[in-house]
Amino acid sequence: MPAMLKDYFSTGKNKEPLPPKSKDQLPHSIQGISYVEWRDAKKKNHKWRNIRWSVLLFMNLLFVFSYSFDLSILEGSLSGSRLIGFYLMDPFNALQLLAISSITGYVGMLTMNFWIGLITILIFWFIFGGRGYCSWMCPYHFLSEWAEKLHIYLVKKKKIRERSFNIGLKIIFFIGFLLLAVLTKNLVFEDLNMVGIVSKAMIYGPSLLLLWVVAMLLFEAFVSRRFWCRYVCPIGTTWSFVGKLSPLAIKFEHDKCGYCLECQKVCLVPHELWFVQRGKATQDVHFVGPDCTRCGLCVDVCPGDALTFAIKGASALV
Amino acid sequence: MEKKKSGVNRRAFLKSGLVATGAIALAGTGAFVLDRATSGTRLRPDFLRPPGAIDEETFIYGCIKCGLCVQICPVQAIKLAKAGKGLAFGTPYIDPREQACDFSCDALQCVETCPTAVLNFKPFKDAGLAAVEQAAAEAGDDFTSVNPFEVQKVAMKQIVRMGKAHVNRDSCLAYKGEGFKGVSRGTNFKGIYRAPDTQDASASPLADKEFDREICDLCITECPIGETAIVQELDRNGRLVPRVLDGCTGCGVCVMICPTHETSIIVEPF
Repeated sequence: MPAMLKDYFSTGKNKEPLPPKSKDQLPHSIQGISYVEWRDAKKKNHKWRNIRWSVLLFMNLLFVFSYSFDLSILEGSLSGSRLIGFYLMDPFNALQLLAISSITGYVGMLTMNFWIGLITILIFWFIFGGRGYCSWMCPYHFLSEWAEKLHIYLVKKKKIRERSFNIGLKIIFFIGFLLLAVLTKNLVFEDLNMVGIVSKAMIYGPSLLLLWVVAMLLFEAFVSRRFWCRYVCPIGTTWSFVGKLSPLAIKFEHDKCGYCLECQKVCLVPHELWFVQRGKATQDVHFVGPDCTRCGLCVDVCPGDALTFAIKGASALV
Repeated sequence: MEKKKSGVNRRAFLKSGLVATGAIALAGTGAFVLDRATSGTRLRPDFLRPPGAIDEETFIYGCIKCGLCVQICPVQAIKLAKAGKGLAFGTPYIDPREQACDFSCDALQCVETCPTAVLNFKPFKDAGLAAVEQAAAEAGDDFTSVNPFEVQKVAMKQIVRMGKAHVNRDSCLAYKGEGFKGVSRGTNFKGIYRAPDTQDASASPLADKEFDREICDLCITECPIGETAIVQELDRNGRLVPRVLDGCTGCGVCVMICPTHETSIIVEPF
């Protein structure tokens, strides 16, 4: 059992790399077509993106209609809600509240609904892949994807330069926001929270804080690609801790890969796809790490179908 | 090759560290200002917290700003504070002059729905159950005459303390010895409430209701709590005027209904 668990959590990153495939072993050679023809075959494939956007818009509109038409199916907002009577809590909001209230002693006052809501949502996103929340639920992620399109276009036209930062930044923000909450006895992040601001603006009407959202979208479009989602958002970081344990993940099969790197180009967190580069993979099968939002953009674009949605550890159980 | 790579990494790391430190410092300063501006001091004393709200300092961090209380309120009295309202951003408040809490939900649903108990339901639950038990004991064998739901809802709303009403003697019509005839806030007024003399389950528009009083007593007759909260009495000068008692819950129906241009009765939050 421990060996199985070790396998489950292992990224395989510190192992010796497999030898890179020779030209004859690459998928386009096997199919007998040119590399470019092979690579561009799935450029227009948007299957998972369309499914995901539909789910995202449906859920967010369900929030809006539940209130405006009194449907009472999904009440509240993404900061805290109730789905047909069952409470659901935003985990970072809850974490800030727990940090402050364990110091002040308020923690004992929290209702059973709060605890049930927190545990339910953690179990739900444990099953559906941790940061799956980001790409399948978060309305800011949706807006950010459009800013990203503009950003990529501007970089391609050489109007702006790509600026990237260290991915460890998000841990600093995660700890920083928690500390700030404790020091000021205030849910500081909730006032800056893109998810909460956009979600509540849709449900309860726009507020001045939407300017902050617009400012961040402009920053992402003109300065640093997906800055908020990649480096800042502590909600995403909280979900990536859950994603570390989650069985639903993107599976990579080395024998189908043609080293084209199309997947890394579309990915929100390309560092998690480190094994797609020639001579980097250490195992025949890799699972994408915890920062992955399970958005499926790489699955859509992969010409060799080397990347697929899969259940981690399923082969060990069967 | 190796050396160049680590140089790039170090520069990237320093840059990232600088961004993070700057951003956290900025957020910290913002939070500090926010904190000074919100906790403890209330910049808008005419805004009330919803029923069952605990002390303001705990309220500010305990409220996760989900808006469930806003959604459940049948008269939409509760709103989320926007920037510049003088309350912590996103926290719920009631502006009683626009729409008061009239208890027409019957069960303090906003309090019951709050997941973090900053609207604390426990005292209400306890009071409701105690009242039902007492009523059952008093009724003895004749327990079928007791409607536990009625007893419970009266007991629960009576212990609400959002604030206490105060009458402005300079502008109050009763203090001037004047009556009131007509629609109290004009026909365009959006506010709704359930009048004490109605049998309806839900609230109806204040604009639909016409009053005709020789001496204005709207705050007294329309109070959802009744004679434990506000009564009419003769003052030293022989005028019939309203007097607020300790049973006032601070719900603000009197504030909403007051027909003078600026309200002559306000609720001071506790």
